[in-house]
Amino acid sequence: MTAFLDIHLRRNNRALLAWLVLGGLLVYFLYIHPRGASIGVLSAWANQGTALAFLAVGQTIVVLSRGVDLSIGPIMALTNCLASHLVNGGPLELAFGIAVVVLAGAVCGAINGIVVVFGKIQPIIATLATGAIYSGFALIVRPIPGGSIDEMLSELTTGDLAGILPSSIVMLLVLVCLFWLPVSKASLGRSIVAVGSSEQAAYMSGLKVDRAKIAAYTLSGIFASFSGLFIGFQTLSGDPSIGLPYTLNSIAAVVIGGTALTGGAGSILGSIAGALILRTIGSLIFFTGLPPLAQPLFEGTVLLVAVAFGATRLLRINNRLEVFR
Amino acid sequence: MKSYLSRLRTLTRAVSALAVASVLLVQTAQAGTFMPECYKPGLGDTGTIKHAKKEGPYRVALVNGHTGIPWREQMIKSVKVWAAAPENAKNITELKVVSTGSDVAAQIAAIDNFIQAGYDAIAFIAVNPTAFDAVIKRAKQAGTVLVSFDNPVDNPSVLRITPEWIEFEGIIKAQSVVNQMKEPKGKILEIRGIQGNSTDRDRHLGVQKVLAKYPDIEVVEVVGNWDTGTVQKVTADAIAVHGFFDAIICQHGCRGVTNAIKATGHPPVPVGGDAENGFVKALAMNDIPGISVSTSPGQGPVAVRAAIALLQGGEFPALVNVPTPYVETKDMKPNVNYFPDEPDTLETVTGYAVCGADMVFTPAQLNAQSADNN
Repeated sequence: MTAFLDIHLRRNNRALLAWLVLGGLLVYFLYIHPRGASIGVLSAWANQGTALAFLAVGQTIVVLSRGVDLSIGPIMALTNCLASHLVNGGPLELAFGIAVVVLAGAVCGAINGIVVVFGKIQPIIATLATGAIYSGFALIVRPIPGGSIDEMLSELTTGDLAGILPSSIVMLLVLVCLFWLPVSKASLGRSIVAVGSSEQAAYMSGLKVDRAKIAAYTLSGIFASFSGLFIGFQTLSGDPSIGLPYTLNSIAAVVIGGTALTGGAGSILGSIAGALILRTIGSLIFFTGLPPLAQPLFEGTVLLVAVAFGATRLLRINNRLEVFR
Repeated sequence: MKSYLSRLRTLTRAVSALAVASVLLVQTAQAGTFMPECYKPGLGDTGTIKHAKKEGPYRVALVNGHTGIPWREQMIKSVKVWAAAPENAKNITELKVVSTGSDVAAQIAAIDNFIQAGYDAIAFIAVNPTAFDAVIKRAKQAGTVLVSFDNPVDNPSVLRITPEWIEFEGIIKAQSVVNQMKEPKGKILEIRGIQGNSTDRDRHLGVQKVLAKYPDIEVVEVVGNWDTGTVQKVTADAIAVHGFFDAIICQHGCRGVTNAIKATGHPPVPVGGDAENGFVKALAMNDIPGISVSTSPGQGPVAVRAAIALLQGGEFPALVNVPTPYVETKDMKPNVNYFPDEPDTLETVTGYAVCGADMVFTPAQLNAQSADNN
């Protein structure tokens, strides 16, 4: 784990910067919070950001492959609605329900990948279209908000571990380690990044470009289903319109976390920090008394600054043509 | 013998305890709930809610969802006006207002933050009726009083305050519109709200219930999404297709109806609509027969007052239906029912008069406040 962190930090100082910013914001938030630092405050803070962090992880994987997933919010809503029907009852039913929900997310993601690869459609158009379809399915599965989700699982995932750590963050890190770490170490993960860096070079090097792309979208769908499940644990119900504000925010989190939207370089951990930064800014706005309408303005400004900061590497380039490599 | 005696004693004790309990029960029933003329029990819900009494003054939070809607902004302003009045301010050490937007996770986190920060009561408009069960449980554990209003949550353990929509749209609005028609027959245009929303469903049900009594009335339904621009467009379209309507019943955004009537040159027919200044003004100034029925932003202070009364040990029906204020065109007066010098978006019924004199606000009082977080 330390080696994993070490490599990531050395390779990606922008992700490190994101974590530093997050640390500063969190300290300030705990400082101005009327209750101060307590596990309850930390858990509420972590819970607010976890669903978005899952989406940011999924989005990062797609962005690394030089794609974008605009259906990530709808997949989250669809899986959330499925969960509100299935994640209930005895242990066996719970396990079955969670498996079906994650599988549904994976299938949605795989369909995205297949449409992008074999349909030869721009990812932005393809996922916009499939996203509309997934939203439609979410409305069919649950036309108005409702349903129920196991309360014990909810308390386990949104509470704290031994009064020290918010369990949502722990679950997030564990799932990232289980689902992304092995892939990123294997040739599949290297292919995803290579495709994002230069598709032609990856193809000429004999990498399986199509497989890498489909895998990236499938992983994105899986993480979207984790997000749908988690929002279900938070709300104990399903809501077909829950994904609306999330798609754009997931992309914002990716950018703030230091991943290049042009693909090929970036960090999952940075995106998690990006998601938590966005949410912490939201919470800070409550307690500092800024007008609520300023929140989108503030988020937009942060995004713009992050993108502009990412572009500063252009200043260090000797030959302008290098930009187009 | 000894065991027989002790058993007898237990029995007597149980009987006397039962007697005391029944006396208490009768007493609560007689004592009644807090301000019953304002906080009327909702239909089909017989439960009541009471919390352990706490010493004041209190720290109170107001958590709004959607932002950028005039009704919500006026609601926040009226809460601030009410809380600033000396007789109410003495019960409140701190009033914190936040608007979280449409993201349910952000709203849950805001409520969690207030619970964690030890606020005594939180009044909130839920962005989603079903998502709050877990946070309601956490509030209960922490002893925080929650009051859900306007778009209430589906949870009977929380005080919910809302208009009775079936009566609101049916018995009051639709019936008045039919009564103002020359004769109860012909074509009525019904302009509905956001589809899939339970409020739209109930209001439509209310209209259907009333109109079912008139077999000669034909209803044309369109969807206006409670938005003035959309309402104007669909009304103009419907007039273009059908030529003439004998009456129009509109849920919300009804300034769109009067605008469309003016734009298309449709003759003035009875219109039932909301209580936005622009709509009421248009009815009164153009002599269009009709009725303005209000769900007032005064629900905000009504909810906050209920939260404070709960903390003081008051009892409430679990589901409260606030009374529905309305006025027909013939009774509309300037600067009472409509305000010629105020913006069209002002909700003319600024508060619930039956709920007390401190619940009605003047536009000047409201304009002095801001709708910002604090």
